[in-house]
Amino acid sequence: MFHTTYNLQTLNPMQLTIQNLSKTYPNGVQALKNVNLEIPTGMFGLLGPNGAGKSTLMRTIATLQEADEGSIQLGELDVLRQKSEVRKILGYLPQEFGVYPKVPAEILLDHLAVLKGITNSRERKEVVQALLHKTNLYQHRKKNLGGYSGGMKQRFGIAQALLANPRLIIVDEPTAGLDPGERNRFHNLLVELGENAVVILSTHIVDDVKELCTAMAIINHGEILMTGNPIETLKSMEGKVWKKKVNKADLESYKQKYNVISDKMISGSPVIHILNENDPGEGFISTEPNLEDVYFSHIFNHKVPQPA
Amino acid sequence: MLLRITQFELRYRSKRPATYLYFFVMFIVCFFAVVWEQLSIGGATGQVKEDAAAVIMNQSVTMSLIGLFISSAIMGVSILRDFEHKTSAMMFTAPIKKRDYLFGRFLGSFIVLALVLTSIPLGLMLGRLTCELLPPPAGDMERFLPVFHPEFYWQPYFMFILPNAFISGAIFFLSGALSKRLLFVFLQGIGLFSLYLMTRQMVGRLEDRELAALLDPFGLRLSTVISQYWSIAEQNYQMIPWDGLVIQNRLLWIGIGIICMILTYFLFTFTTPSKKQKKKKTSTDGYSSDGVEIPTGMSLAFDGFQIQYQRISALVKLYYREIVLSIPFIGIALFGFIMLAVNSRSMGEVFGTPTFPTTYLILELLTGYFLFFFIIIIFYSGELIWRERDLKVHQIYDTLPIPDAVGLVSKFLAFVLVHATLLLCLIVLGITIQASKGYYNFELGIYFTELFTNTFISLILFTLLTFFVQVIVNNKFLGHGLMILIFIVNIILAEVGVEHTLLRFDSGDLDGYSDMNLYGDSFFKFSWLKAYWFGFTMLLFGLAVAFSVRGTDTIMKTRAKLAGMRFVRPLLIFTIAAVLLFAGTGIYIYYNTTVVNEFAKSDTQEKDQANYEKELKQYQFLNQPKIVENNLHVDIFPKERDYAVEGEYILKNKSKEPISVLHIQSSVDEDLTFEPFEFEMLDSLKQEGEEFKLAQNFERFSYLIYELPRPLMPGDSLRMLFSGKFDTKGFKNGGTNTAVVHNGTFFNNFNFPSIGYNPSFELGSDDDRRKNDLPKKQRQMERTDPQGIMLQDFISDADWIRFDVTMSTSNDQIAIAPGYLQKSWNEGDRRYFHYKMDRPILKFYSMISARYEVMRDYWVRPNGDSVSLEIYYHKGHEYNLDRMMDGMKHSLAYFSEIFSPFQYRQMRIMEFPRYSSFAQSFANTVPFSEGIGFIVDVDDEKDVDIPYYVTSHEVAHQWWAHQVIPANTKGGTMIVESLAQYSALMLMNKHYGPEKMRDFLKEELDRYLGGRSFERKKEMPLVEVENQQYIHYGKGAVIFYALQDYITEDSLNKALRKFIDEWAYAEGPYPTTLNLMEYIYDVTPDSLTSIVKDMFERITFYENKMLKAEMVEQSGQFKVDMTLNTVKMLADSLGNEQPIDLKEWMYVGLYGNGQKGKDSLIYMQKHYFDSDTTQLSISLDSKPTKAIIDPISILIDKHPKDNSKTISVVD
Repeated sequence: MFHTTYNLQTLNPMQLTIQNLSKTYPNGVQALKNVNLEIPTGMFGLLGPNGAGKSTLMRTIATLQEADEGSIQLGELDVLRQKSEVRKILGYLPQEFGVYPKVPAEILLDHLAVLKGITNSRERKEVVQALLHKTNLYQHRKKNLGGYSGGMKQRFGIAQALLANPRLIIVDEPTAGLDPGERNRFHNLLVELGENAVVILSTHIVDDVKELCTAMAIINHGEILMTGNPIETLKSMEGKVWKKKVNKADLESYKQKYNVISDKMISGSPVIHILNENDPGEGFISTEPNLEDVYFSHIFNHKVPQPA
Repeated sequence: MLLRITQFELRYRSKRPATYLYFFVMFIVCFFAVVWEQLSIGGATGQVKEDAAAVIMNQSVTMSLIGLFISSAIMGVSILRDFEHKTSAMMFTAPIKKRDYLFGRFLGSFIVLALVLTSIPLGLMLGRLTCELLPPPAGDMERFLPVFHPEFYWQPYFMFILPNAFISGAIFFLSGALSKRLLFVFLQGIGLFSLYLMTRQMVGRLEDRELAALLDPFGLRLSTVISQYWSIAEQNYQMIPWDGLVIQNRLLWIGIGIICMILTYFLFTFTTPSKKQKKKKTSTDGYSSDGVEIPTGMSLAFDGFQIQYQRISALVKLYYREIVLSIPFIGIALFGFIMLAVNSRSMGEVFGTPTFPTTYLILELLTGYFLFFFIIIIFYSGELIWRERDLKVHQIYDTLPIPDAVGLVSKFLAFVLVHATLLLCLIVLGITIQASKGYYNFELGIYFTELFTNTFISLILFTLLTFFVQVIVNNKFLGHGLMILIFIVNIILAEVGVEHTLLRFDSGDLDGYSDMNLYGDSFFKFSWLKAYWFGFTMLLFGLAVAFSVRGTDTIMKTRAKLAGMRFVRPLLIFTIAAVLLFAGTGIYIYYNTTVVNEFAKSDTQEKDQANYEKELKQYQFLNQPKIVENNLHVDIFPKERDYAVEGEYILKNKSKEPISVLHIQSSVDEDLTFEPFEFEMLDSLKQEGEEFKLAQNFERFSYLIYELPRPLMPGDSLRMLFSGKFDTKGFKNGGTNTAVVHNGTFFNNFNFPSIGYNPSFELGSDDDRRKNDLPKKQRQMERTDPQGIMLQDFISDADWIRFDVTMSTSNDQIAIAPGYLQKSWNEGDRRYFHYKMDRPILKFYSMISARYEVMRDYWVRPNGDSVSLEIYYHKGHEYNLDRMMDGMKHSLAYFSEIFSPFQYRQMRIMEFPRYSSFAQSFANTVPFSEGIGFIVDVDDEKDVDIPYYVTSHEVAHQWWAHQVIPANTKGGTMIVESLAQYSALMLMNKHYGPEKMRDFLKEELDRYLGGRSFERKKEMPLVEVENQQYIHYGKGAVIFYALQDYITEDSLNKALRKFIDEWAYAEGPYPTTLNLMEYIYDVTPDSLTSIVKDMFERITFYENKMLKAEMVEQSGQFKVDMTLNTVKMLADSLGNEQPIDLKEWMYVGLYGNGQKGKDSLIYMQKHYFDSDTTQLSISLDSKPTKAIIDPISILIDKHPKDNSKTISVVD
């Protein structure tokens, strides 16, 4: 029998390298345009609006989809060809998924653990129990998944993705449907795992990335708009973001005049953020740049200073 | 509000796939019941067409019975749903009135149910219309009425299907509403079903028939009781009328339905069922995630047998549960089981006498389940293949580190397990049926052998094929449709001329089982063919694995690219192995079926028959010498299924003309080949080395014409020697021969060469003849035909022959032929038997060889000589040996007394395998099928003693055939069969008493009346019967019984004695019924002549009725006043009837309480009737209960049920 034992401690940190990756769907939509990315061990945030190509990219890395061009290299592995090798170290949480409704969580998790290669039933039990605890599902473990709420189901999805010590974890919009407490717990869990694995987190929630990631990329219309470290990126924008509460009627004129990166309603009036090297006057006050500003500035294709 | 709820229900149902599944299943069953002959739900018979009003009615009602399950699923579940889905609290707290809620739900569900059930008329109608486009046999429009009648389909829908749906729906709604558990709804269904079964039972008793019709909740009994005696024309065109019984029944049951609705309304409460409340854990004990570490050091394994096994078993378990726990699956499975249980009630009856429910009979019954397997395969293959995608877990599953094949393999194995489970259930069902009939010989070995080879492999093959189709088309519903299409095409293939076994998916089933011959050697062919198909489906499965969708790319281009990448080592090896298996077995099968054996398509065979007639019919009445002596040496090799024959014919010119050519019909069986024949003139001019020149050889027909060296003068003879080999080679495309088998070889003289043209090779069916430009065929010659009366019935190349045969067989078997055993010896591993007959016999003899047990007895003639009696039977079939032995003894004694002495010194019965179900009488020899008689389960109280009856019928043939053989003209079988029937009946009358005769005659009357509807050409009067079984057996028995009653048994026997005396062993001219009737008229008083004429020479019916029967009691005397209606009808050969004058004596009987509290006849006298309506008054000492005209059923009356009436008491 060929038992392959993967011991995390003995493996070198890995890196995921994506080169010139392109994908066009049969309906003509170009989902990925010449994507190049380097993703090191640790948490990596993939930020982009809905339909930006995040899921396509994730699925391609997760061996679910073919690419038209380009390559994906995970350590020694050619992801697009050595799919079965990649799957051995992969944990994947799809953006949308279902469950077997008439099977209890504990049973299905155990079942998936078998399929993931945990052959020893005692070890399997330990892992399953631990993950149920970690995802706060332990007390519901005997309940059929059909009776789970959206949040519980999402947590189950997270649990299954973390089975069998994955070294490449891909989580597509994982925090959708979680309440703040659950989200926190999930974040902690991911961080814990991110120490030894490549964790790719796709989200359109900027705060997820800010809180978790050591590296990030912004993607829109199938193109990578920027990559970098969130902290450094923020630094590069320091002192260049200004905000002002304006009248609703004046909004358009401000947009003409300035690099408006976002407008938000606060107590009924728009508050705009603009990007400007110097103090624009007109009542603008300087504000700490947040990741949202970075995000929006890229999405709306503003000239943004790149971190050095 | 009510409407809103109804609308909601409709919308909900319209989105449920189950709704469409129900419709689909019913539709398919109905559709195929019309299109596919093999599937019958009470289809057509004979001249009653497939789309006859009565047939559609029967099919519709039967299907509505099956619709019960759908009704329970839709109606019962509609009320349960809120409880199941735990939405009850939400629903019940909303401001909805109970009335609106209940009736809204009911109405909505009922509309859905009504729509689903339109699948019955629609399926039947579409089946009928589709047939018009199909080739025969499906498209043989003779099966249908000339005009399509949509009203025949819709009337049953409104009369039965819809009311039944309402009734069952209301009852299910009530049980669902009250119990709030699905289980109870199902149980309710079984309850209703039992009531129906009870009424079935009641119908058996004449008295209870109307009550049964009234009580039957579904109307199936009702419609059969009403239409039971309808003529063909009525069955074809008459719909069940809306009157009396129908209205009563429908009102009764709709009333019950309404009561159920009212009860539901009053008893239903808006509360959730009082399930044991689970203790809700509100505390979060054991919940503390912070201290928990996710273990990281576990060992992972991905390759190797053990880990794949572990994964596959985990997946198999999951998929298996997904199937067997789904409600539609349980529903379909149960629905099939119930259908089988119902069918088991009439399983294997012979003349209304039940047979023991032997395992092979049960297995035949179980084959009816294949349709359900097929539905399950089609439906659940789609479900399984799409399982992950339907549940949207595919993205998770597709990224699991498992090889591509594991998913499909697991799904396949889960399906295999499902099949195995169902097969085990079927075995349990089979055993239960056996036990319920008091039969405890459970042959598990046979159950498993058949179900887990033949059936199981077919299921596996179809499953693999379905998987392939589902994977490749990658669209569930398209896959369903395609599979149904493939299934249909596979059936039609043979009918459109693709008959080669290599081209018909899943061909090569095991032969039928026989206790004697087991499965014969059919495992050999079976194994090769199933290996071939397995190779084919393995190849498909390999492709399915390669092309299966994993991930989110579904376009064919990507799948093809991935498939190329997947063809690596294991899959490649698997696929190559499949191809090798497929090709290798295919070549071997081709070699066997097409090279070693001849592959003859049936239309070629039909052409051959037509050409035979076209080319050779001219020789039919050519003057030829007759065979007068036949000596044979036959070596049978049971293991090899071969035999060798060497024979000698002595042919004598019995005519007054010299004969210069000899026409020989040699074997047309490709397995049996003869060496060139040798001849020798035996006249006074004979010389050495005289040459018989082969003038013409019609090789295609094995018909040879020889020129004699000189004409054979009247009275002179010649010798013909033949030497042939019967060789069973490999296996054939079609079925194997059932004549020469491992145990139970049975063949007859028709295998050996005969002299002259053989008209029995001609095409019989008018349709086939028309197709081949042949004129319509007269079934038999007129009774006055001068050529006809010079020929024997059946055999035209001999009159009576001297017969001698030496047979050998393997040393564990006994070989038997007509004649007396002269000597038996062993030589090497062979056993020899020499039989010789000491007096001439018909040229009609059997050759039999099997492993036998022997029961011996003897009968002593009045003169003191003993006749030995033997029964050669298969070990284990001892049930009815005593009855058969008694049958022989009593028959020989009685027939010798009333007719003439028995001409032989020995009488034997020998069992042969159940490939055919008949008994046949040869000189002092009766082969008797294991399928009849040997395994019937006779209850002397209730049943006809079939073994005794059949035995005495066959023994009677030693007189009627083996003493008097009729001419080859119309009416011939009346002399052979009707007289054998009469003889057996009179013996039964003597043995079981006249009271029992009623049961016999009822069966025979039923056979006649029922048989009329099968008539393909035209009905003949008895004296001109053209080998029509329903006439010469059924009508013959009734008429002869009536005749002896009218003219007395003694007179009739005297006439028959004289007939035998003057016609026994005639050598031409042979007697016809014209001759027989002379003897009968001689003993008939003038007053009865016209009645006897009506019986024998015309087709007449009585229409007798007891209109009124009232009784007055006066000082211990019971006076019964009756009003009777009597009509006599004359029918022509097409069944058109007209009344004729009636002036006859007929029996009137009164039933009273007899012994053991049973009804018995306390009065039976003949009364004279000469007008339509007659008043009668009879006084009795004891109290009668029922008045009846023609109590023993000797008059042919299509409505015997109105012959009797329960007597009402008047003050």
